[in-house]
Amino acid sequence: MDQLLAKWTKMLSDFSILTAQLRFPARFFGDVMKSSYLRAGAALACAVALSACGGSDGQLELGGTFQGVTKAGLVVTSSGQEKAITPPADGSGQGRWAFNNLISTDDRYSVEVKSKPSNVKDCTIENPSGRAGYHVYTIYITCELNRHGLSGTVSNLKGNLVLVNGSDRVTVQAGAATFKMAEIAEDSPYGVAVLEQPAGQTCTVSNGSGTVGPADVTNVAVTCTP
Amino acid sequence: MKSSLIRPALALALAAGLAGCGGSDKAEFVVKGTITGIVYPGAVLTTNGMEIAIPPPATPRATVSFAFPNKLEYGDVYNVQFKSLPSNQNCGTPPQTIANFNDTAGRLAEINITFACAVDIYSIGGTVSGLTADGLVLANGSTGGTFAVAKPAAGVTTPVSYTFAGAVEFGQTYGVTVITQPTGQVCTVANPTGTMQAANVTNINVTCVAAPS
Repeated sequence: MDQLLAKWTKMLSDFSILTAQLRFPARFFGDVMKSSYLRAGAALACAVALSACGGSDGQLELGGTFQGVTKAGLVVTSSGQEKAITPPADGSGQGRWAFNNLISTDDRYSVEVKSKPSNVKDCTIENPSGRAGYHVYTIYITCELNRHGLSGTVSNLKGNLVLVNGSDRVTVQAGAATFKMAEIAEDSPYGVAVLEQPAGQTCTVSNGSGTVGPADVTNVAVTCTP
Repeated sequence: MKSSLIRPALALALAAGLAGCGGSDKAEFVVKGTITGIVYPGAVLTTNGMEIAIPPPATPRATVSFAFPNKLEYGDVYNVQFKSLPSNQNCGTPPQTIANFNDTAGRLAEINITFACAVDIYSIGGTVSGLTADGLVLANGSTGGTFAVAKPAAGVTTPVSYTFAGAVEFGQTYGVTVITQPTGQVCTVANPTGTMQAANVTNINVTCVAAPS
């Protein structure tokens, strides 16, 4: 601190010499800066203000990884800091995160979820608290997406029908009036299509594709020819 | 150590002690390890003139253990190779691990080789014809990824080919549907579904026409 003060005092006095040379109006600087006490005081104020700028004077990163984040809205906090974790553009929902401000050695931290994205059931934090010895990269946030049912009706089915939603394959038995596919994550697309037609019949799917909202999809309708 | 007699005697004793180390019971090493990810039959491992067949586990992709019948002696070199792979799969050292299938018996206290197998993957795609507007989005179910088809440049009338970024494993089903129709047009998908065989799928053709007004 003493060194810093000396440095700033010197810089300020250099500055006042400069102002003198430039013949600044005396009432601006001259009178005020005449007193060396005042000068030192100003330097101190300046130094204090500057150190406050950084927020904290730590050197250690506090963060980790996240997954299951496909929508904005996840905010985590620790010791008054807040960090909004934005979903990655590639749609993978996973990546690395860190608080914007650094922390100091021996600082205690305790990370909590302040708010979660609307399409998430719950977010859990692994290794949420501790005392910083080095950079903290081990705070793992896992968000579990809401899952919704995907089902619909079948009419006039006389043989076995095989429906798919991508890699999910479901056989609908002859005579069935309803069908149910595997549950899907909120905000993901779905597309129900016929993989195998029943013998002697052709079935078509209506309302078969879209994007899942906050509720189950129940309006997929499969109609088979007589 | 001053006496010249003590020195040779000591050396003799040391030599005798060292010879005792090897002992009559020779160190022997079993060439063994684990494989993850096996789904299909056909895997055969071989090393030092031995062969073992690895059947797929009851639960596909579960970890299976293997051990070669004959033990190796200290200093024997082993190099475990897949004489044949499980059908429609490829196997090797798991990602981000150090290969340990080729080494010298005795360098480590125990031989424990790790292999991982993955099912072959193939791409899916086709052509888009008649598209004159923006906004067409295709999807392969809920987990197979989406594909936004951009409007072709002005004057392009030939079908434009496309390929999904996400590949499909052999034996898995795929089903391509239109998630979002382009503005003012209706697109339909030909050959939308199938079960992946051992080749890229290129016949999922999309045809777009003006929406009925």
